[in-house]
Amino acid sequence: MSSKSGRGVARRRSFLRPTGYAWILPALVFCVGLLYYSVGYTGYISTLDWNGTAPDPTHVGSANYGRAFADPVFWEAIQHTVISFVVTFTISTILGFVFAALLHSRPFFGGVYKVVLFVPVVLAPAIMAPVFRQIFANDGQFNWLLDHLGLGALAQPWLAQSGTALGVILAITIWGGTGVTFILYFAAMGQIDPELLEAAELDGAGNIRRLVSIIWPNVRGTTIALATLSAIGALKTFDIPYLVTTGGPNFATEFLGTLIYRMSIPLGAVGYGAALSILLLLIALVFAILLNARRDKGEGRNDA
Amino acid sequence: MFGFRSAPKRAKSVAAVVIALGLSAAALTGCSSTPSGTDSATKGAITWWGWTPEIGVGKQYIAAFNKVYPNIKVTYKQVATASYDAAIRPALASSVGPDVFNVAPGGGIGSIQAYQGSAVDLTPVVTKALGSDWKTKLAAIGPKGLTTSTGKLAALSVGSTFAGSVWVNPTIFSKYNLTPPKTFAEWVSVCQAFASHGVTCFEQGAGDPGFNDDLLHAIADSIKPGVWTSAVAGKTAWTDPTLEQAMKVFKSMFTDGIIQKGAVGVQQYPDVNNDFLAGKTAMVMMGTWYMQYSTLAGATAAVSAAGVANAKPFPMIAIPFPDVTGAGNPAPLFGDADYGLAVNTKSSHQKAAETFVTWLGTNEAAQQVVANSLNDISALTNVAPKWADIKLVDAAQQQSTLQTLIAATGKISEARLGDVGTALGQAIGVATSSVAAGNATPKAALATLQTASKG
Repeated sequence: MSSKSGRGVARRRSFLRPTGYAWILPALVFCVGLLYYSVGYTGYISTLDWNGTAPDPTHVGSANYGRAFADPVFWEAIQHTVISFVVTFTISTILGFVFAALLHSRPFFGGVYKVVLFVPVVLAPAIMAPVFRQIFANDGQFNWLLDHLGLGALAQPWLAQSGTALGVILAITIWGGTGVTFILYFAAMGQIDPELLEAAELDGAGNIRRLVSIIWPNVRGTTIALATLSAIGALKTFDIPYLVTTGGPNFATEFLGTLIYRMSIPLGAVGYGAALSILLLLIALVFAILLNARRDKGEGRNDA
Repeated sequence: MFGFRSAPKRAKSVAAVVIALGLSAAALTGCSSTPSGTDSATKGAITWWGWTPEIGVGKQYIAAFNKVYPNIKVTYKQVATASYDAAIRPALASSVGPDVFNVAPGGGIGSIQAYQGSAVDLTPVVTKALGSDWKTKLAAIGPKGLTTSTGKLAALSVGSTFAGSVWVNPTIFSKYNLTPPKTFAEWVSVCQAFASHGVTCFEQGAGDPGFNDDLLHAIADSIKPGVWTSAVAGKTAWTDPTLEQAMKVFKSMFTDGIIQKGAVGVQQYPDVNNDFLAGKTAMVMMGTWYMQYSTLAGATAAVSAAGVANAKPFPMIAIPFPDVTGAGNPAPLFGDADYGLAVNTKSSHQKAAETFVTWLGTNEAAQQVVANSLNDISALTNVAPKWADIKLVDAAQQQSTLQTLIAATGKISEARLGDVGTALGQAIGVATSSVAAGNATPKAALATLQTASKG
C-alpha cells in the first residue's frame, strides 16, 4: 500500500518537474500561442469596429454578427459553399471511383493514365488560374471548341455571367480535386479481398453488380473521409474563385474565404471580417461534429 | 509535512514554466525594433514600401536622392498592387513596418482613410522646405486628397494622375484606315469596322470597379461637367436624370458593340493592359500613368512584360473622351495624387524618412526626375518634363498630344477616386457590372447607389 502510494507521489513529482514541461513546451507554445490565442483574439476583434491599424477601435458588441446575418452576400457565400460541397463531392466521387475501378482492370498505359489524372492536383491554382481565365473567356478556347463542334449557339462569356461563373469555378475545383479522390479509391480498392470479388463473380455477379454491391460498400470509409475533406475544402475555398473571378461577377462566386478577405483587406472592415471568421469556425465545427457523429453511427452499425 | 515541502517545489516548477513561456514569447517577438537614439535627418537606413512606381523608376528616384544625401540608404520594396493592402496593414500594426509607405486618396488601394492613423503629420517639414506659402507651390490636387478631416497632412504627393482619356494604338488604326472616334456614333462605326476585321476595338475590364467608375464618371461629366463629383458629395441624387442618362449610355456601350463581349469577366489589370500593350486591342481607357509607355524604354519594357517576344514598342497616344451625347462640353478629366509618401509613426528613423519624403515631394531636381519619368504629373507646379531629355517612341506623333494632355490636367480640380469611400466604391462596382451584364436596369442600379450613399 505504502509502496503504491510512494509510486504515485513519484509519478506526480516527475509530472511536475520542469524538465517534463520543457519537453512539451514547444508544442504548447505553438498550439496555445498560435492557434487558440489567434482564435481568441479574432473573437475579441469581432466585437470591434476597427480597420486593423487605427489606434482607437470602437467596441460594438455583437453588432458585427448582426450585420453578417443581415448581409445578403454572407448568405450567398453560404449557399455557394453548400452547392460547392454537394456538387464537387458528388462528381469527384463518381469520377474518382469510376477511374479507380477502370484502372484496377489494368488497361494499357495504366501508369500514364494515373499520372494524367493526378497532375492537376500537383499544379498550383495560382498557375492555372490565368489559363482558365483564358479558356473560359468570351474569345477563349472553350467557346472555340463549341464553335468547332457545331455547338456555337452554346458559346457565351462564361466568367462574365452570374449564372455561369459558379459552374466554371466548380468545374475547375473538380478538375483539380478528382486526382486525390481517384488515388484514395484506387488504394482502398487494393485493400478489398480478391476472394470476395472472385466469389461474387462465381455467383454470377457482373461488373456493375460487383461495383455496386461489393466494391462500393467496401470503400465506405474512404467515401466518408473524402466527404470530410470536401466539406473542409468547400469551407476553405478561396484561391480558385479569388484568382479566376475575384468572387464576381456581382458576388456570384463569393465564398466565405473570399468574403472574409474582401472585407478585412481591401475594405478594411477588420472587425466584421473577424466576425465572419468566427462564424466560419462555428460552421466548420458543426460540420465536423455532424460528420463524426455520422461516422460513429456507421461504425456502430458495422460493429453490430 | 509533505505538503509544506512540496509547495515551494510546485511554485518553483510553475515559475520555471512561466519563465520558459516568457522566454519563448520573447524569442517569438525578438525581432521587434526599439526606437533609435541616433535618428538623424542626414544619415540612416530606411525602407519604403509602395505599389508604385515601377522598381526601375523607384531606383531612379533613390539614385538622384543619394546624390544629395549619400548617407541615407533607401531600400524600396515594390509590392504588387493587389497585395499591397494585405501587406501594409499588418506591417503598420507591427513595430517593424516600413519607415515610408505609399498611401492614396480615397477608399481604394492604400487608402488614406485606412492608414492615416499610422502617418506622421508632414505639415512642419513641408513648411520648412517650401515656406509658409507651400500650398501655392504644390498642385492643389495633391494635398487635397492627402489631408485628413482633422487637417493633418498625412502624406506628401510625389505627383498626380488623371483619368478620363482614351489611349489608342495608331498602328492598328492606320492599318485599317480608320480614325479615332469623336462621337458615340463614330465610336460604334469604328468598332463595327474593327469587328469586321476580327480586331478588338475598345476593351474594358468591367469586372474592375475602379475602371467602371472612370468610364461612368467620364460619360456623366461629358453630359454635365461636375455632376459626378456632386453626386459623390451627396449634393446631387444618384437617381438624377443626368446620371440616369449616363448609365444608359454606359449600358449602350456594351449593347452597341463598343465594349467587347464578356467584359464583366475581365479585369483592367492585367487582362486589358496586357492585350493593349501586346497590340491586340485598338483602344483602352487608361489615365496619365500610361504616359510612361510613350518613352522608348518604358514602352519596350511594358510590351515585353505583356508577354510579347522581341518586343516592338508602338507610339500610343491619348485622345479626348468622345462626346458621347453631343453635349459639346470639354472632354472630361479627373485626378488625384497618384500616391503620397507617408512617414510611419512607429519608424525609428523618422527624421531620415522625412528628409526623403520631403525631398521627393518638394525638391525641384527630384520633381524633374518625376516629371521626366512621365509616370506622374509633377507635384511642384513649376516643373514640367524636359522633352529634350526624354526619348519617345515617335516624338512627331506623341509629344504634342502629351503636352496637350499635361496642360489640360493643370486646370483640373475634380477628384477621380479621392472622394469615393470604400462602401460607395463597392456599390458603384456592383451597380455598373450589374448594368453591364444586363442584370439590372440603369434606374434600378442607380437607386442602389442612392441607398449606399445614404448609408
